[in-house]
Amino acid sequence: MWMAHSRSPYGARRLALACFALLLVALFLLPSQIQGLLQYLDGPVGYVVRIPLEAIASIDAGIADRWEQYVALQGVREENQQLRKEIEWLRGQHSQLRESVAATERLTALLQFKEQALPTMVAAQVIGRDATNRYRAIILNKGESDGIKPDMGVVTPAGVVGRVVKTTGASSVVLLVTDPSNAIAGLIQRTRDEGVVEGTQQGLAQMKYIPLLSTVRDGDRVVTSGLVGDFPRGLVIGTITRIDKQEGALFQSAELMPEVDIGRVEEVLVIQTSYGQSTKAGAGADLLGKPSP
Amino acid sequence: MKFSIYLALVLLLVPLQTTLLPHLSLWNVKPDLGLVAAALVGLFAGELEGLLVGLAIGWVLSLFSAGELWLSLLTNGGVGLLAGFLGRQVSQMTSVALGLGLLLVSLASGVFAALNFQHLDGSQMWWMIESIVFPQACFDGVVGGGLYWLLSRRFDVIRLRTE
Repeated sequence: MWMAHSRSPYGARRLALACFALLLVALFLLPSQIQGLLQYLDGPVGYVVRIPLEAIASIDAGIADRWEQYVALQGVREENQQLRKEIEWLRGQHSQLRESVAATERLTALLQFKEQALPTMVAAQVIGRDATNRYRAIILNKGESDGIKPDMGVVTPAGVVGRVVKTTGASSVVLLVTDPSNAIAGLIQRTRDEGVVEGTQQGLAQMKYIPLLSTVRDGDRVVTSGLVGDFPRGLVIGTITRIDKQEGALFQSAELMPEVDIGRVEEVLVIQTSYGQSTKAGAGADLLGKPSP
Repeated sequence: MKFSIYLALVLLLVPLQTTLLPHLSLWNVKPDLGLVAAALVGLFAGELEGLLVGLAIGWVLSLFSAGELWLSLLTNGGVGLLAGFLGRQVSQMTSVALGLGLLLVSLASGVFAALNFQHLDGSQMWWMIESIVFPQACFDGVVGGGLYWLLSRRFDVIRLRTE
């Protein structure tokens, strides 16, 4: 590496420095104005960037499909046998549940509960992951033009995925339930204790602020409480794997295994109904297993 | 011509960074191609172009990230500007020197970003620096140095830098 004298035009250097200094000042003094100014351009730029992004995402999905269909078939026979056993077991469970459903329907009618209004949802495809390593987020191929707005909840039939934090005209960014910056109001299904579900740095989730007297235990399921945010009540978040009860603490916390395999999620549903509209009609009922459009 | 190249670079960086690189990540850490690209543009084209391309990359990548816009603008623009200044002082850059420089710059910007995470306590911040920021900085250095090495084998980089 040799040192050399500057050959750059002095004016260009001064201009670059001035631009950077101006940007620094503007970002610190007028952050919201700068953000607002750039938001006008976000839409068109989002549309333009979406073209190569979707093209490469579809090639990527095609390769992944081929891989899954032909190459990654090792151990499928054993898996198939195990799944057959599980089906048998689930059939037994299913018949029991049908009995329970019938009983629930009768009781619901007796109590004159209104039919629960399911939230409106938009299906979207995952076309990428967060551009940085600092956040656990996914990028969807639907944006403002499809009615998606920040803070909307995102789910799959298995459970909660995360919430929308940023949108452009044609895409949106979803902060996953496993990100430490995310917080969702949760409810332990068995004990009905409420708490806040946050992501952990290890890529799992934890439920904080569980009352000290709660009888929570490993294997308990945590669902959305529907009290805060845009998630209706009763969507599965995860299963408790470890309880953390510290001496002298006012609350206990629990580690959760998210129900959705966040690393493999390809299609999601964005809940468009705002809080209140979805929960008013069926305040007592859960949406378990019913997140269909 | 130059504008078209920069436009293509910015547009292609998004699918590369968000769709393809997650498959190539090691321990869930992928290199920041935006930072590498801003540094290389600054090095070859000078501080003004490095700054402007860095800002454009920072802005477009921030549309596809949950992170803050100002942080993305500041780090990518700053790296482009810094690389432009350093590039003017050095007549013959080696890929190892560039790699080391990128490692340091990426480390500095990563630590700065970690300090701006408000919900992290001391141990969590250390965990983030140890498990995300440092591996990413190493990754950035290797990718930047490698790209420069490839460019220097294919093109006359000294002429490119003086043009």
